[in-house]
Amino acid sequence: MENFIIAARNVGADVQLISNLEELVAYIDQRIEGGLLLSPCPSLKRAGLSAMLKTAGVDVVEEEFRAHGASAAAGLTGANFGIAATGTVVLESTDEAVRIATTLPEKHFVLLDPRKILATADEAVPLLGDFHKQMPQAYLAYITGPSRTADIERVLTIGVHGPAELHILLLEGLSEDLMER
Amino acid sequence: MNKADRSRHYNDRVRKAIAKPRLQDTLHRFADAYVIAREAAFAGQDFEALRTAIGEMKDEVRDNLPRYRDEFIANAEAAGAKVYIARTAAEANAYICNLARDRGVKTVVKSKSMASEETHLNHALKDAGVEALETDLGEWIIQLAGERPSHMVMPAIHMLKEEVAELFSKVTGKEEPAEILHLVRLARKQLRQGYLDADMGISGANVAIAETGGLALVTNEGNARLTTTLPKIHVALVGMEKLVPTLADANRIINVLPKNATGQLITSYITWIRGAVPCGDKSKELHIVLLDNGRSALAESPHCRDALRCIKCGACANVCPVYQTVGGHVFGHIYISAIGVILTAFFHGLNNASELVRACIGCRSCVAVCPSNIDLESIILHLREVIGEEEGVGAGKSIVFKNVMRNRKLFHGMLRAASVLQKPVTRGERTIRHLPLFFSGLTEWRTLPAIADKPLRDLWNDIPQKVEKPRYRVAFFAGCLNDFVYPEMGIDLVKVLNHLDVEVTLPLEQSCCGVPALYSGDKDTAVAMAEQNIDAMLENDPDFVVTSCPTCTMALQRDFIDLLKDNPVWAEKAMKLAEITIDISCFITDKLDGAEAFGKAIKAEKVTYHDSCHLKRGAGVWEQPRRLIADSGREVVEMAHSDRCCGFGGSYSFTSHADIAKQILGDKIKDIEASGAACVAMDCPGCMMQIQGGLQKQEKDVRVKHTIELLAENLDD
Repeated sequence: MENFIIAARNVGADVQLISNLEELVAYIDQRIEGGLLLSPCPSLKRAGLSAMLKTAGVDVVEEEFRAHGASAAAGLTGANFGIAATGTVVLESTDEAVRIATTLPEKHFVLLDPRKILATADEAVPLLGDFHKQMPQAYLAYITGPSRTADIERVLTIGVHGPAELHILLLEGLSEDLMER
Repeated sequence: MNKADRSRHYNDRVRKAIAKPRLQDTLHRFADAYVIAREAAFAGQDFEALRTAIGEMKDEVRDNLPRYRDEFIANAEAAGAKVYIARTAAEANAYICNLARDRGVKTVVKSKSMASEETHLNHALKDAGVEALETDLGEWIIQLAGERPSHMVMPAIHMLKEEVAELFSKVTGKEEPAEILHLVRLARKQLRQGYLDADMGISGANVAIAETGGLALVTNEGNARLTTTLPKIHVALVGMEKLVPTLADANRIINVLPKNATGQLITSYITWIRGAVPCGDKSKELHIVLLDNGRSALAESPHCRDALRCIKCGACANVCPVYQTVGGHVFGHIYISAIGVILTAFFHGLNNASELVRACIGCRSCVAVCPSNIDLESIILHLREVIGEEEGVGAGKSIVFKNVMRNRKLFHGMLRAASVLQKPVTRGERTIRHLPLFFSGLTEWRTLPAIADKPLRDLWNDIPQKVEKPRYRVAFFAGCLNDFVYPEMGIDLVKVLNHLDVEVTLPLEQSCCGVPALYSGDKDTAVAMAEQNIDAMLENDPDFVVTSCPTCTMALQRDFIDLLKDNPVWAEKAMKLAEITIDISCFITDKLDGAEAFGKAIKAEKVTYHDSCHLKRGAGVWEQPRRLIADSGREVVEMAHSDRCCGFGGSYSFTSHADIAKQILGDKIKDIEASGAACVAMDCPGCMMQIQGGLQKQEKDVRVKHTIELLAENLDD
């Protein structure tokens, strides 16, 4: 987990250790003004996050992502697993809602159970194989830090087309299932 | 365009590029940062092993292409994709335009695709009445400017922020400040609606995986994720060489690609897409266009086919001194730099490649960083031969190579005559500072050494050799410069080797190694020279053949074998010569264990070492001369970019590209001066000629010495 945190921070992700759901809701609530696209992820559903966020006053969007995506302030998703060597989160994103929640808004909050961190990308290859076996169609995403470009004079600039902020929230007890979908 | 017009246009572009110091500054700064970032990214990994594995995997696909291609198509189509094989660029464009027309597509968003640059897809779409919007920031910038990419990974690296601000101002209709964060945010805002409105998204792919029928995209900005998610149709235009067998193979490429491209451990996004994924309330319509366009022809060329291993990282440009001097709009067509020279020849025709083939200075810095283990320089040399056969090597060169160089007595006779004829110019000095009239361009930026009064071969019998019990008998291959320009270096070599109990002979039938002809594309002359030299050097069966010029070393160790490999009589002799050929520094340290045999120099001079391209990246020698310099009592201080080319490149700096060579030399002189050394040492008489010429012209007080001369100084002391 330490390696993961160092690598993710190195590429500009905000990484936060979160101890419970209340803390998580407060963390998100403090950082957004506007709609939150809540991805249809089983472990997030199980945790009852939607109701908690709404109670806290967050404008939670759970459907019609295409209509709301461009105006929403942030997306909240789970992560299937992390890769420590590069600080990467891996999201099975075949459901279009996951993709819209992680591409259109300015901010992306991603929940990762720290028990699901692999050491290297090589260890992820068999899992990629399993996803392809389970799903006839697949859209899998490795996300490492916020959207970036260096296309003007080689100056690194954050937040071009994808999220300008990536918040990785480490919360133990969410899910141990790396193949969750 | 005819050849003369083509050359004139090209030379014009070279001149214009050189006149843009801010372009060179940008490319140099990037190159410096790249080297550091790349090294950090590969820390703890065995780059040689990684690239060998990638090369082998790519060869396996090339050799069994139908099998992997069919496996890919079957899996992709089972997942709901439609796969089309385009034999030519025109076929690919027609397929995509027809599809757009059929589906009533008005606008297309594109994420970065070099294959679409290769086919000029945007023009075809425009002609079909479809508006294409580039969404990669760099691609959008050059689309607005009406230009083509000047780098495969960073298409707008040649543009300054002020120029970008001007382009963006035209889009927004108000003056935009030239502030990079502002410009990036502006692009985000401007292009956002494009994704939402577009009826079709077009992407490339970095990998196409046979075992899944899926694609992988390696990106940083996030535009490819939007392009492949929002529009209801997704077209992926994919070069056939992107095929890999398995997910593990794809992972292998993705591990190396960002590290070698920009020095990133990984890009922000790696996106794996297989099949017709959900899109709104339906499924996406996914079309994969597999592009051949010359790739099959490339696979059939035994000399060039390794180029199909390329994973399009652009590293060959990042480290190329020619690219850093003139940029990708000059040293490139659509694909740029070393790999661009080769791909242009096969994808866009020999005519578009022939100037580029000559623009390579042959320093092999690209070969050292290629993640697919492609010997780019050798392939470019081969293409130069092909173009030499097609177009000729130039009338002047042709006469010299065919009629003079192949006849040793005539060639050496002319060099002797030159030694007499140059007298009015040298005024008896050892350097030529100015040449009269139309030759003056050659000495504007460097002095040239005079041809010696007496070549080494005429002095040889008077050089005393006192070796009572020789450990070895070696034959010295002097090369033209050592023989006719720097004969005193040969005398030093004898002194140094005698000191280590080695007897030296100079076979008089040796001649030019033939590299000038070979590198100019005259293979026949090169073959004739190889045979002549093999016979000369193997006569009397020496223990070793020692060399003092790394280009000659490469000729004897590598080129002769290649030139004669189809001739059973000569192939064996060439192998034999290669086995016993060794450069002088390596011979002293590795065979004679003689690094400490020269005592300590009286003056502990600060010496900086210049790595000659062919010694470091050809023969793999760089530690040995440094050890000799340090062990002989001198302080070695490293200059920045010690292994960057000096810009000599033989005839490159005289006839074909003097203006580029001058710039590269200028960079080297700056680095030497900044090192604070009193002396710059090297192991190549060609580099000596170039660097000494530059230092003298700029009146810098730095000695230029061959390592062997420094060792001899200790013996004289």
